[in-house]
Parts: sequence; structure tokens; C-alpha cells
Amino acid sequence: MAGKPVRPVNAIDQTRRMLSLVTYLRERPGARIADVARAFGITEDELVSDLDVLPMCGTSFRGGDLLDIDTDGERIWWHNPDDVAAPLRLAADEATALLVAARAVLTLPGLREGDRQALLRATAKVEAAAGETAGASSRLSVTFESEGGVFADVDRAISERRRLWIRYYSPARDEVTEREIDPIRLVSVGHTYVEAWCRRSEARRTFRLDRVAEIRILDEPSAPPEIELRDLSEALVQPAAEDPQVVVEVGPGGRWVAEYYPHDSADELPDGGLRITLRTPDPASLRRLALRLGRDGRIVSPPELADSARQAAREALAAYDGVARTPDAPQGADEVHGVHDRQERGL
Amino acid sequence: MAIAKAERLMNLALCLLGTRRPLSKRELRESIEAYVEAFGPDRGAAGSDDSFNRMFERDKDDLRELGLVIETVENLDGEVGYLARRDSNRLPPITLDAEEAAALGLAAKVWQQARLAGAASGALQKLRAAGLPEDVDPYEAHGALEPRIPVHEAAFEPLMLACRDRRPVLFDYRKASAARPEPRHVEPWALECWRGHWYLAGWDRDRGAERVFRLSRITGKVRSRGSGFTAPVPDVVTVRETVASWAGEIADRTALIRLRTGSGYPLRAKATSVRELGEGWDELEIPYGHGLDAWLVEFGPDVVVLEPAELRSDVVDRLRAVAKG
Repeated sequence: MAGKPVRPVNAIDQTRRMLSLVTYLRERPGARIADVARAFGITEDELVSDLDVLPMCGTSFRGGDLLDIDTDGERIWWHNPDDVAAPLRLAADEATALLVAARAVLTLPGLREGDRQALLRATAKVEAAAGETAGASSRLSVTFESEGGVFADVDRAISERRRLWIRYYSPARDEVTEREIDPIRLVSVGHTYVEAWCRRSEARRTFRLDRVAEIRILDEPSAPPEIELRDLSEALVQPAAEDPQVVVEVGPGGRWVAEYYPHDSADELPDGGLRITLRTPDPASLRRLALRLGRDGRIVSPPELADSARQAAREALAAYDGVARTPDAPQGADEVHGVHDRQERGL
Repeated sequence: MAIAKAERLMNLALCLLGTRRPLSKRELRESIEAYVEAFGPDRGAAGSDDSFNRMFERDKDDLRELGLVIETVENLDGEVGYLARRDSNRLPPITLDAEEAAALGLAAKVWQQARLAGAASGALQKLRAAGLPEDVDPYEAHGALEPRIPVHEAAFEPLMLACRDRRPVLFDYRKASAARPEPRHVEPWALECWRGHWYLAGWDRDRGAERVFRLSRITGKVRSRGSGFTAPVPDVVTVRETVASWAGEIADRTALIRLRTGSGYPLRAKATSVRELGEGWDELEIPYGHGLDAWLVEFGPDVVVLEPAELRSDVVDRLRAVAKG
């Protein structure tokens, strides 16, 4: 895992943490810095900066009731523990953040039954402890999408360290290929993906579970090479700088392209459309996009790609010879008209 | 160097939690070093009073965001005092076993939005301080699953707070096929993340109807509009069903198509029947919902629509537009 990013000091989060820290330290005289940092999910440096602030705090500073907390660099001592440090109730945002996340994880069909039961019990206890502050958590919800059976097999293969055989659909080429993969981890970002070492391409690949047409757990052990796990928080598919460039111009009805395709730039056009520049290792895979866009957009470059879309459309039309021309279909008037999910993140 | 905000907030919290009687603003100002340093002792100088008052109000709001219940009490002389009673601020007893703790540990990591990530780990820290068992590495306990909730939309945080506080909002929204954004006045009910995208459901004041908005289509700032809600909030808000129907997930009809052998796997996966025609073609019956025409066109010459006539002509129109280029 890449080094933890340095978090900016946020006074609210630090205050929240220090209040809990005081409660925690009261129960654990001589607690080790390393253990406390781990329990709080922070770096030792962050903990030490909290320990610098705490001795400046008290129930009545001017009266001299300061927290006498100090550390020898290894252990932490609080010499005048005070009953101000009772465990504090959960704030509305804290209850919401934890409960919404827990309910989202519960929607993962591949979650192991034991873990699901534990999370269900924990959620009920947190709801009870949060009391009425838990109410606002119903105003936020998240559903993870994942294909149950495929998910369970991938999860099992990872924990038993076994190789997988899959038939995988690639929308870019509209073909299903067979490959053996050594799974590394499952990631849910909207859709659920498995990151794996692909034995066919001898490279790291990310596979979307709902595109796995068939899956089998093999007897061979999984042996992915040691690779550094990437931070996938921005995008799962990141185009490389050397990939060829594609320029697409879309009208207002094609603006969704900018929402679904990672791109270098999207410039406004006078008619309310966009000129989008993106990179892809395989421009031919964007023929689907050109066909889908229809009158809502066109490929500007490369010209071969525009030609191949026109050619494909003409070939397709030949099958409809004799069909009378019909007036334009009425456009849907929905607020979220056209959720082009199938276009998303072509691999 | 000015005293850091965290130190000031911590001292205010401890003073309010530590006291048995309400403390006046003057007492708090005099006992917290950060206030003394910034504003000097209270001598009734008008200018410093105003800026102290503003800071004090903001600090109290910040502590309330952290969950502190701060009471405002007026004494017999009409002087206002503040305190955070221990019994109203104490976490009720909660006992979680190691498995439950590990499960919560995993859940607390899924947010990728700064405010909620901070709130989730804050919740875990409070529970940890109250005796939540220390976890084994949650990934160890849960296999290799890494669920994440993505939040890339700038409108998320203001809308989350507006939903929480039931405050009407105003924002510019561009419909999928509209050239220009238009202002929308909305009473926000709930936010839902589906397939990695966030949606807002609420009451559209101008249209006098329930509407669902996609957050990525909100342009510019989300502004608060004072006053409360005018329309009743339904018990159950269904965002996903609405979005699914627009996405063509909810099909009410069937279509008959011809598909070239070996191609169009996702169409085959959805088909209710597949029949081999020979000569390199199959005939499929597939569900027909919103957006099917655009999807079928993607397969170019590998798909021919047979029925119904309406879908056939939609597909032909789209193909003509591309062929004209």
C-alpha cells in the first residue's frame, strides 16, 4: 500500500479525537503510543501532536486544572485523571456516517454470513446507543452493486489463494474471452470489481463482476507477483499518457459522455455542447460510443474512427432496406433522462 | 503564534463538561487562555466584544456538530449561562464483541468523502474510548473486500446538511439534454448512491412535484433558502426505482431482434429466449425499456430489430444520423 497521505490538520476532527483520547487514556494508564495510534486509526505523529495540545487543556485553565498528561515517547501517563472523561454520545453526523456505511456493506451479496450477522448485531447496538440522533441516517443511503455468485467465488478464491478461470465480456470489442487470473482484491466503487494478475496478458487487470459470464475456482494456487496496490479512489481505469487521443464533439444531449469517460478536457461549445478530449489505448473501442451518440455527437479525430462508425451504420441500415422513414421519436422528459450506465468505464 | 483552534475548542468543551453550574460568557472568556490572548479580559470594549461573540458562537456550533449537547440557562438576574450536562452527553452503555467491532471497523473505512470519513472514524473513536474491542486487521478478518463509497460531486456536502437539517435549497441544474442550466428550488428529502452516482430526491417547489436529480448535473453552488419545508416528506423515498426506470432497467415490453452468432453477450444474458436461425444469426427476445434503442445501435451491423415497429424505426433513425456523419 502506498504511504498514507498526510492529512491536513482539521481542528474539528482533532478536537473530536482528543475528547475520545482523554476517555480512552483514563482507562489505560501507561498505554503505549503505538497501540493507541492503532486503536484510533491515526499515525503516531498525529497522536504525538495531540499529546502536545492536551496538557494545555483543562476544565478551568485559569484556575489551573490542566490535564497532566505526558509521555516518555513510548508510553502515555495521565497523572490527575478526572471524571470529565466519561464516554461521549454520538453526534448526528457520526451516527449517520457509521450507520449508512454499515447498511451499505450489508447490501454486498458476497459478504460472508458470519460477518453479515456480526454487522447486523453491531448496527442494531449502535442504533440503540445513538438514540434519536440515528434518525437522520435514513436520509442517506448507498447500494453496492455486485453479482452474488461471482462475488462469492472470487472472495473464496482470494481467501483460499486459488487461481480463477473466467469468461469475461469486453464491451470495447464485444467479445467474450477466456482467461486465468490470480485475484488480489475486490473493490466496490459503484460497481464491484476484482483486481487481479491476468495470466493471459501477464499484467494487472481490473474486471467488473457483472461482466464475468462464467467463473470456476481452479485447483492451482494463485501466485500474483508482488505488486504495489494502487489508490483506486479517483478512478479504476486511468489512461496512460502515451495512449492515442480521441476528440469527440457532443451536443447538449451527449454531455453525459463527460460524466462517464475519464477525459483530459471538456470545453464548452456555443450550442450548449462539449468538445471532449480523451485518451484510450484502443480508439477502435470507441466505435460503440460513436454509434450510440447518433445525432447527439460525432468523432472529430482520429478520422479512421469516424469512418468506421459511418461504415458500421451503413452496413446496419442495409438490413432495414424498405423500412419507411419515420418522424423523430419523442424525447423523454425525465429529469435524469438517459442514464447511460452501460457505457461506463469500458475496460 | 495564536493558540490553535483545536486547543481552544477542547478547552471550551472541557469547561462546559466540567462545570456543575451554568457558566456565563464572561466566565468562559476569562478562563480560556485562547480567548484571553485574542481579545484580552472583558472590559466592555465594544469592538473586541463583537468579535469575541462571533467566535464564541461559532465555537459552540462546532462543538454541537461534534455531538455535544450544550444547554443555555438563564439565571435569576437574567444572565445567560452555558453548560454541557454529563448525563445528557454520556454515551449509553454499549457492549460489542470482537467480531462486531471488526465489522464496524470495516464499515467505518468505506467513506471517501472527507466530512463523513472524519465522522465515521470519530464515531469509532468514541466507541473505542467506551471499550470497543481493538480490532484485528479488518482486512484480515474480512478477506480481500474493499468497499468504497465514492463522492466526487461538490454538491454532496451542502445537500447532505440540507437533508439533515430539512432546509430548502436553490441550485442550477442542467437536464441531460438541455443546453443551459436552470435554477431549481428544492426541498431536499434524501440522497442515494446507486452504481457509484449520487441522486437527490425532493420536492421541486416550482413544478409542485416530487423530482429526482443527479448530483453531477448540478452546476455551481448549492445555496440555502431559509424557512422550512412546505410539502410533507413521504415516509419512504424511492430514488433507486425512479432512476432504474430511466436507465431502462424496468422493462414493460419485449422486443424481438436478430443477433449475429457469437456477438452481443450482454443482450444474450438478458434474453428471455434465444433461437438459432442458422447462417450465422440467432433470434432473441429481450426486455424493452427506456434507452434500449441507443444500446442496440452500439452493436452496429450485428443487430437487426424485428419487432416492435416503434423500436425498429427508432434504431433506423439513429443509424441514419450516424451514417450521414
